[in-house]
Order: sequence, then C-alpha cells, then structure tokens
Amino acid sequence: MADNPHPLDQTLFAAAFQALPEAACILEPMYGAGRAIADWRYISANERIGELIGLRDVEGQTLRGRWPDIAADWMSEFAEALATGAAVTVVRPGSQHDKIYETTLTPLPLGARGAVLVTIRDASSEHSAREKRRQADARYKLLFDAIDEGFCIIEVIFDENGKGYDYRFLEANEALVGQTGIKDPIGKAMRSLEPEIEDHWAETYGRIAQTGVPERFESESPAMNRWFDVFAFPIGDAAPYNVGVLFEDASARKRMENELRHSENRLQSLIEASSDLIFRMNPQATLMEQVGGDSLLGDVGEESNWIERFVLESDRAMVQAVVDDAIVRRAPFHVDTRVRTDDGVIRWLSSRAIPVLGDDGAITEWFGMATDITARRSAEQQIAHGAEVLLVATEIGKVAVWDWNVETGDLIWSDEHFRMEGYEVGEVVPTYDLWAERVHLEDREACDIKIAAAMESGEDYVNEYRICPPGGEVRWVSARGRFLYDEEGKPVRMLGAMIDITQRRREEEWQRLLVAELQHRVRNLIGMVRSVARLSAPSHRNVDDYVDHLIGRLQAMGRTQSTLTRSPGRSVDLGELVREELVVHAVQPDMCHVDGPEVALSPHAAEIVTLAIHELATNSVKYGALGDSGHIRIVWSTEERDGKPWLSLRWQETAPRGKTKNKRKGFGRRLIEERVPYELDGKGSFSVHDTGVLVQLEFPLSDNGSILDSRA
Amino acid sequence: MTERLLSGRRIIILEDDYYQAHDSKNTLEDAGAKVISVTATVPDLKALMANGRIDAVLIDINLGHSTSFDFARELSRNAIPFLFLTGYDVGMLPEDLVGSPYISKPADRSKIVAGLASLNASQT
Repeated sequence: MADNPHPLDQTLFAAAFQALPEAACILEPMYGAGRAIADWRYISANERIGELIGLRDVEGQTLRGRWPDIAADWMSEFAEALATGAAVTVVRPGSQHDKIYETTLTPLPLGARGAVLVTIRDASSEHSAREKRRQADARYKLLFDAIDEGFCIIEVIFDENGKGYDYRFLEANEALVGQTGIKDPIGKAMRSLEPEIEDHWAETYGRIAQTGVPERFESESPAMNRWFDVFAFPIGDAAPYNVGVLFEDASARKRMENELRHSENRLQSLIEASSDLIFRMNPQATLMEQVGGDSLLGDVGEESNWIERFVLESDRAMVQAVVDDAIVRRAPFHVDTRVRTDDGVIRWLSSRAIPVLGDDGAITEWFGMATDITARRSAEQQIAHGAEVLLVATEIGKVAVWDWNVETGDLIWSDEHFRMEGYEVGEVVPTYDLWAERVHLEDREACDIKIAAAMESGEDYVNEYRICPPGGEVRWVSARGRFLYDEEGKPVRMLGAMIDITQRRREEEWQRLLVAELQHRVRNLIGMVRSVARLSAPSHRNVDDYVDHLIGRLQAMGRTQSTLTRSPGRSVDLGELVREELVVHAVQPDMCHVDGPEVALSPHAAEIVTLAIHELATNSVKYGALGDSGHIRIVWSTEERDGKPWLSLRWQETAPRGKTKNKRKGFGRRLIEERVPYELDGKGSFSVHDTGVLVQLEFPLSDNGSILDSRA
Repeated sequence: MTERLLSGRRIIILEDDYYQAHDSKNTLEDAGAKVISVTATVPDLKALMANGRIDAVLIDINLGHSTSFDFARELSRNAIPFLFLTGYDVGMLPEDLVGSPYISKPADRSKIVAGLASLNASQT
C-alpha cells in the first residue's frame, strides 16, 4: 500500500471511530488515467461494520477487490457524494444476506483527494414493516375498489367562519364514479367538479371534521339528481380531521319507496272511497274492525262480535256454519246475509273474507269486504216473484211454454208443455225430434217449414197444428214463438208459448155445421113453399081463395118453425100443438073435445101434424062442423107396435046436418093420405061420412130430428 | 116441357120431403122419364135393379135421420150415375164424393132435367 499517505492516527479519533454505534468505514478514491476514479480504497473500518456485514481487515483493499460483484453498482453514488459534497443515502438489499441495508455515503474533506465515510444500518425490519403497510394499503385500495358503495376520503375546506365550504378528494374508489357520475376526482375540490352542489354537504362534513363524531344520513342532491345514503366518519388523530365517506346512490330505492308510498296512498284512498265496507277480523273471525270504505253497518268502531251484533237472528246459524267451515279449511268464505245496522235498517250484505296465514300456516287475521246487495236482492226477489206470477199465470191459463237453445239443441218445456204433449211432467228430456214425433203426421212438414221460415225471417212463428199423444185424443194447439239472435244475426234461442185450441176448433166446426144446416133449412123451406104453392093451385078457381089458402098454409108452417125455435132441439107436446092450432082458427072450447096422453113429437112430425090440423080446421070452418053448430072430437093414444111406440090420432067431426061433401083430393087430404106415409112412415086416412069428416093418423114416434136437432 | 130430354130414361128419386119428391117426379115425367121409385128412405137397390135398368138417380143428401152418402157410394160401385139435389153447400160432400154432379136447392125444373140429361149423356 505505497499509496496510503495518511495512516489514521491511532489515537483518539481512532478510538472514537471504533466506538461509533453505527457500522462505518472510510474509503478514498483511486484515480486512474484521465483523473477518473477507477476504484475506492478502504482506509479504515470499525468493529461494528465487521459485525454487521463481516467487513474486517480491509485496510488497503479496494472496493472492487473486496466486492467484485456489486462494486460497480456503487461507483456512481460514491462519486456523486464526493462531487456534490452532500451525503447520499441508499437503501439496498444486502449482497449475501436477505437483509435490507440503509447505506449513507458522507463525503469527508480529507486532503486534496477527499474521502467518503460509509455508515451502514440494518433497515430490514423497518423496511419490512413499510412493505407490509404498503401491501395492506394496496389491499384496502383493492377492497375499496371492489365494493359497490362509493368511498372517498376528503379534506374539508373551511370558510372564514370555520364552516365547511368545500372539500377536496384525497382518495376515491372506483365505485364512486358509478355512484356519483364524478370522474377522476382525486386532488380536486367538489365545487370545481359540481359547482351547483348544495351547501349542506360541505357543512355536514365540516361538522364531522371538527367534532370527530361520525354521522349517518340520507339526503337528496337535486344538483346531481340523486339520493344518497351516507356514512361519514373522521379519519386522523386530531381536528380538523379528514373525513371518510362511505355512500350509496339511493335514487332507485328512494324512487321505489316514493312509488310504494304513492301506491299505498292510492290504495288507502281507494279503500276510503270504496262503497264497500273493508274490514279485518281476528283469527276466530268473531271480532270485526272496519278499516275503510263505506259505513254500511253504521259506526263499527272498536272490534266487536259482528255476527251477534249485526246479523239477523234467523241467519246467524247459517253464517256461523260458513265461517266455521272456512276457519277449518283456512280458505276464503263468501256469505250473503241480512243485517240490521245500528240505525235499525235491514240490509242484505254480501261478505267475502280471505284468511291471512302466518309462516306456520296458521290464520293470523282475516281481511275482507262487504257489499250492500239490498237493491240486487230486492230486484232478484221481484224477478223471482215475477217468474212465479208468470208460472202461475201459465199454469192457470194452461199455456205451454218452451225455450229452445238453437245452438246446443237444449229444449226446456214448462210443466203444461209436458202435459199437452201427453207426458208426465219431467218424464222425458225434451228435444226437437221428441216434439216433432208428437205432431200429427199431416202437419209435420208444415211445422218444419214454418219454424225454418221464422228462423230465417225473424218474424214471429205462428202455427196451428195437431198433437197426437199415443193413446190419447188428438189435440189442436195454437203456437206462437220468436227467435232470438246474437249480434252476428245468428239464431241462438227460440222462445214460445202454445195453447190448446181443441175446443175452439170444435166450436168452429160446429159453427160451420150450423151455418150449413141453416142454409139447408132455408133452401128446403123455399123448396117446400114452392111445392105447396104449386100443389095449392089446382084446387082454386079464383085467385083470392088461392092466396088465402096459401097464406094460411104458410102461416101454419111458420107457427111450427117458431114453436121449434122457441124450444130448439126439443120435442113438441102434441096436446099443446093441437090446442094452439084450434085457437088460431077461433074454435070455441065448447065446440071441441081434445083428449090424449102426453106425447112428444119430433120437429118433423110436429110440422106435419100442425099442417094437417090447420087444413082440417080450415076445411071444417069452411065446409064442416065448425062452420055450423057442430062438434069436433080430437083424441089420440099411443101403443106399441113391433117394439116401437106408435101414435094414433083421430079427428072426428059431428055436424047437426049433412053438409056439402067434398070428395076432391085437395091439399089437406093429400097431406094426410100421402105425405104422412111418405115422410113419417105411417098411415093416414081421410073419409067423409054423413056426420062429417073422419081422419085417422098413425105413425111411429121417433125422437130423431134433423142433424141439427140431434146435435143439440 | 116440349123437349123430352129424358125420354125413356128409367130414373129413381130419393128425397125425404114429400112435396119436393112429388114435384121432382112430375118434372121428370114431364120430361119423358119413367120414374120407377120415389122414396124418403134409402131403397133396396138390388131389388130395384132386379126389376130393370136404372139410368139415373136423383138424390137428396139430407134424409132427415141420415145422409145419402153411403147410397151414393153404392150407386158408384154399381156404375149408376146420380145427381145430388140438396140444400147443403158443395163443401158438405165427403172427400170421396167431391166432384159428384150436384144441384143446389131450390132448383128450377129445367135445371134438374138438364142435370140428369147431361148425366146420361156423359154415360153413353
């Protein structure tokens, strides 16, 4: 070491150097060509450095010689310290040990060349602590960035009155951007980022910074158009603290809350405005409390036993049964009942309630509503009453009613309809075919055609037809019906009614017969008059006589007709007939003797006998006993001949003296001798004796009249 | 009755009214007919037919106690032409006799004669 010009004084300084608590050594530069430092030479090293890094007995060694691997790394720091005259501190891991060393290079103004004092401190532990803290910080940062909530640390800026005025972001996580919309806030003041920000934010954070008391609050920022849910707390050792802010954008939740509140308000309004009574009940459904709606029952107020208080006595058992059943089944119930309100008014309420079930499935309460159906019930009752009236009316009026569902083919008959068709009520299920089966074969086609026509045209179905119940009498019915159509004009239903018109039909038929009979009679009468007129003609030479006779005969015929008309359909009493005819010819009672049993003559026989008596009386007045002071004897009797009653009538004149004999076969004589046998199937004789005329009439008594008479 | 339209015709009359029957008989005889039977009740057709030919029958419908429809049917079966003379309307005729020759009372004599004459004309 020929270059070592300054051997260290082995005295006091050497002792002090050796006694330094720090590991230290001194090196001097070694200049190479061109005055550049080529290496450093150890001048001295103390004990401590030997202990620390094993650097012993290095005097005279060079840096490169001692640390060939790492010397180059240090060359510039040594040079810098020497050149600047300022100490240089370097923290580096040791070359051999897993240690961190803090090395300080302090230039020493030692001679012209100078030197560098190297002190080394083991900084491993503090360095490791710092590293741990750094890693923790990084983890926290990661955590902050990972959480959904926004987080930032702010420094509050106060105004001159000590009030928070603004705040600057010191740290912020990534979620802050999403939660606030503020980008890249670090180092910036809030008012620079959002000039419209409300004052209360900085004021609140200022308060926390000064008092050190954390606060949790929820607040709206109209400027940011957001709601925030915030937890702010102080960070630091003393006031004014920095403030940590953990927050969340609560806008969506707030909006939902608002909507929910709005919705609840609306629901409440609805309940209040409802015309129904909204109520809740205890699990046993005994106590009811009105929660809204119309006070249908009056002031329900406190919970009360509604069944006992309101439901009519007669309905209670039924209501209780419905409620008990619903409780057992834990299912909704619906009951219509009559109630007496507190005002004493009786109403119909339709109540529905549903059970609210707890987690264990048990009923916790009932919730329900009651509707006033008084009007509906009364309408229903009226309809039911109306239906009943209709039913009774159709039963009394014997009106058969049908309701035919054209689409399904279902046919409904009223009871009377069943009976009219010859069925027991409900004996069969009515169908169109079943109905058609009973229609008279001759009427069936016309029925089908008329129904089809009514369905097609929409006009009323009007029909009269015959029903043939098996084994029963054929009935005539008159049916009227109407089709109902849907909005597309398709026939869907047919309603109709039908009455039995058999009697009316019979009467119409009878009336037709009457008219025909009347016509027949009139025509016969005219025919008879013509015949009588013709037959009367030959016996009269002069017209006056002829007319007298003709009129007399017509009047006799007229009398018979009026007798018959007075007692239509009845027989005529012979005695009465004879006496009346004698009266007409003014025969005095003392001039005649009339005698015989009571005999009923048919109208036909009465007509002939009347005319015969008329002829005989007329002739007698003119030529015989009655024209003189004679006497007439008219007697009759009845007897049985071949099982038939016969009448035998005798007309016998007794004149005091012989009168002109009339042998001509006149009208009267032909009547007796020809017409009686012809029409009455009997016998007639006319003879003229000295004492006068003797006439004998015999014919079977028959109760047969004309068609008309037999029908009456 | 110069025209003897029914000359030689053998005719029977069924008429319950004596005067009408008498009148008809005179009318037919005046027209040359030979009236072989006049009755108020339905006669025994077989017996009449046994006695000779029957050219035509004049029938009243209402016989007082009954109608003459069955007799008309019997005549049809025997191919004997007949003419209804009646106070009833034509509507009174039962279905199977609808269309039968028919004269309504009161009838002119000439009408009855013409009716019977045409009856025989169509027959021959």
